[in-house]
Amino acid sequence: MEFAELIKTPRVDNVVLHRPFYPAVEGTLCLTGHHLILSSRRQDDAEELWLLHSNIDSIEKRFVGSLGTIIIKCKDLRIIQLDIPGMEECLNIASSIEALSTLDSVTLMYPFFYRPMFEVVEDGWRSFLPEQEFELLSSLTDEWRLSCINKEFSVCPSYPAVVIVPKSIDDEALRKVAVFRHGSRFPVLSYYHKKNGMVMMRSSQPLTGTNGRRCKEDEKLINATLRAGKRGYIIDTRSLNVAQQARAKGGGFEQEAHYPQWRRIHKSIERFNILQESLIKLVEACNDQSHNMDRWLSKLEASNWLTHIKEILTAACLAAQCIDREGASVLVHGTEGTDSTLQVTSLAQIILDPRCRTIRGFESLVVREWLQAGHPFQQRCAQSAYSNSKQKWEAPVFLLFLDCVWQILRQFPCSFEFNEHFLIMLFEHAYASQFGTFLGNNENERSKLKLQQKTMSLWSWVNRPQELNKYKNPLFEANSLVIWPSVAPQSLQLWEGVFLRWNRSSKFLDEAYEEMVTLIEYNKQLKAKVNALRRQLAELETDDRMQENA
Amino acid sequence: MEFAELIKTSRVESVVLAGAGLPPARGTLCITSHHLLLSSRPGGAGAAATVELWLLIRNVDAVEKRLCGSSGTITLRCKDLRVLQLEIPGMEECLNVASSIEALSSVDSLMMMYPFFYRPQGLRLEDGWHLFPLERFFQCIAAQTNQWRLSAVNKDFSTCPTYPPALIVPAAVDDGALRKAARFRHGGRFPVLSYYHRKNGTVMLRSGQPLTGPNRKRCPEDELLLAAALAQAARGFVVDTRSLQAAKQARMGGGGTEPKSAYPRWKRLHRPLERGRPLQESFVRLVDACNDASLSMDRWLSRLESSRWLSHVKAALSTACLAAQCLEREEACVLVHGAEGTDTTLLVTALAQLILDPSCRTLAGFQGLLEREWIQAGHPFHVRCARSAYSHARLKQEAPLFLLFLDCVWQLGRQFPRSLEFGERLLLALFDSAYASSYGTFLGNNEKER
Repeated sequence: MEFAELIKTPRVDNVVLHRPFYPAVEGTLCLTGHHLILSSRRQDDAEELWLLHSNIDSIEKRFVGSLGTIIIKCKDLRIIQLDIPGMEECLNIASSIEALSTLDSVTLMYPFFYRPMFEVVEDGWRSFLPEQEFELLSSLTDEWRLSCINKEFSVCPSYPAVVIVPKSIDDEALRKVAVFRHGSRFPVLSYYHKKNGMVMMRSSQPLTGTNGRRCKEDEKLINATLRAGKRGYIIDTRSLNVAQQARAKGGGFEQEAHYPQWRRIHKSIERFNILQESLIKLVEACNDQSHNMDRWLSKLEASNWLTHIKEILTAACLAAQCIDREGASVLVHGTEGTDSTLQVTSLAQIILDPRCRTIRGFESLVVREWLQAGHPFQQRCAQSAYSNSKQKWEAPVFLLFLDCVWQILRQFPCSFEFNEHFLIMLFEHAYASQFGTFLGNNENERSKLKLQQKTMSLWSWVNRPQELNKYKNPLFEANSLVIWPSVAPQSLQLWEGVFLRWNRSSKFLDEAYEEMVTLIEYNKQLKAKVNALRRQLAELETDDRMQENA
Repeated sequence: MEFAELIKTSRVESVVLAGAGLPPARGTLCITSHHLLLSSRPGGAGAAATVELWLLIRNVDAVEKRLCGSSGTITLRCKDLRVLQLEIPGMEECLNVASSIEALSSVDSLMMMYPFFYRPQGLRLEDGWHLFPLERFFQCIAAQTNQWRLSAVNKDFSTCPTYPPALIVPAAVDDGALRKAARFRHGGRFPVLSYYHRKNGTVMLRSGQPLTGPNRKRCPEDELLLAAALAQAARGFVVDTRSLQAAKQARMGGGGTEPKSAYPRWKRLHRPLERGRPLQESFVRLVDACNDASLSMDRWLSRLESSRWLSHVKAALSTACLAAQCLEREEACVLVHGAEGTDTTLLVTALAQLILDPSCRTLAGFQGLLEREWIQAGHPFHVRCARSAYSHARLKQEAPLFLLFLDCVWQLGRQFPRSLEFGERLLLALFDSAYASSYGTFLGNNEKER
């Protein structure tokens, strides 16, 4: 199938573009296989707009006489308007965009066609391999091993090819455990806490069913993480009710009789299908121009978005407390182990591990706990808040995680090496990107699609110094603390940088930020100068003394 | 009356202080006429004492006691919204301390307040009181136009008891006319100049409501005053901070609005702003909601909404923007008034000046603005800030108008981070000082009392 077949009209002149914060501009609209481009004659064919079709959530057409208007609502929450002269051109453009933005096959997406314009110094695909992670781990402890049981993805289709499991458990046992867990997601290591040797594992729900099935190998596996005589905690991201009801469908929870050394805590986090509705309501509230304070606050409340933030952060804090304060190991799971489970394990690591707050550490965290761990990005980020089509698997699970990270960043402004823009960039690329990093639902799919060979990794681009500078936090001071965020509702705020980004110009805030960066840089330069002068003074004093003694 | 009579126990050892996000501290509690002091010796006896608490008793809004066995806990809720706890060994001492604090914090007589006793080292007592004379503010206007003059008609406060002694009025209107206009306005607060917009020569005036009453009285001097104020401007807007209904009802009580027939070039706009008891209740509900960290997100948001505080902030900023737009964009003059002209009126005129005039956003300019538009303009600080959000006492005329103003200024600072020369800390210090201070700036209700 050729893209050209889908493009009814590739080019229209005299189109007027309306977008947030810029005055309307007239130019030529071009449709390519992957992009919507508007170039004006303003300054040598300046490109005013270069929009990926995959970033388009929905479009609306309106006609006034012979002038057609297309309103494009994007997954990054921008709303753009194109005024197109000529009804036929307008209809053609609209149906072309619709066809191009709803392509089914992954291999037709832009990352497979993208040729980078920059020199690739680091291959992002090879930057965060599980073997590298494991090497770090083995320098701290020898109780774990790297298992290749899943190297054909035959044991667990949503796990990576290699996983970290307790040394005392062999591959045969793992096979049995995989049968006992939903989607074969047997418990694996998520995080090792250097301070006290405690660990966090994650999995999916045990398939106990109504008969109370048990699996001795599963029990042995998680018990292997316990110290003699100590208890562990199982954090179930479903309410007790929901967990009990799961038994009727073959699922369930770890029964006390079979797991006597483990204490189960239920910290309910909303399931993914509810979250999409929440996002839609929130975005609708943010776009409400009626300027009514009461309506704003009640719509914000009705969206429940901040409630989800609070739930997730609370569960993550609990996991972190069990590990750091109680000195106990933790197993986290929900139903499938691909959504709320990953939110909890990754946020707990932000709280506990200063390395996850550095740029590379955070990238490694995203790669480990989200990409390799099998969060179904392709399904979850197929559509965003503006989509009109029926939604099935879409949910802003990853965006909620990024929002939670932002909440912690706001409460601890000096503890993160990256700034808010970094998080926003990840949000954007998860939904639409020229890079292949977020394509596919798990390593299995990525391997079959040969993403590593055929597409560029986001990390190759982001980690270049000229790019990375935009994302560095000027206030960052490396510390080795465990940071405990406040989850009181008064402490959690709406992430304006994402949700109000297109409603209100951030010009003055940006200027203040630039000023801050300049001041900090200037301060550093002055300090360096002071140190140089001090050294000079010391040298002169030594010279003086030598002369006196001579 | 001697302060000593009110102090039952002036000193208690081994008291534990907790609260306000600080780790608990044990030390000796002392009660003086104006302060509560707690000093500890963290290094043990012989080491230098650390002052853990130095609290103006005037800052105490409410005192609660809880007795448990042979010791008691006193919870102090302060006007600056801090909540402190003192654990006092000995039931009698606890009761004595509590009643001493209650008595001292209820002293209402102005002359007994701490500023009259405060003798700081290194500061001369006259500094600050004369930093922002109205004469200097007037010079800037006189340099631009000769349409205005400085009147001393109120120099003995006989024309208007809540106005300052010097006022800026149209040059074409003499003092005799001013006196007559004063009789036509609530509290004698005839229209005076609040701000001159250099860019286009338009002005903002403020006043109290006209006393038209049910018989639709008129006052030619008041009409003359407003006509003279308009001068070359095509028209003016009266921004009435009461709803149309409230303004109409005011007629029955002797007040009212400027009728169109008498003020043909002035168009009236109603922008109701909350004041008085409902505003104080809004404040109390907000503080209540903020203090409960155990709330669910839903409950927090719905209590935030039902407190309506943010609605009041929005309404105040909207009205100030409206006034500013009239001056800057419509090139029309503005007269702002509510009923008394001492609360929401000042809120609007002060905020409008921050929007319009960059010099008000400098540190010195902002202080000058506070002096002119709040202190000298006669906002009744003493009665408005007698009690804050925690008080159990029967409230009389308390209302957090000044806090609402500071909140609006903070909103501006947040949206335009590089446009204010001062930061949040100044606003917090001003909030604290309005309720309890070592300094006399916010004492009294108007210049006459001062």
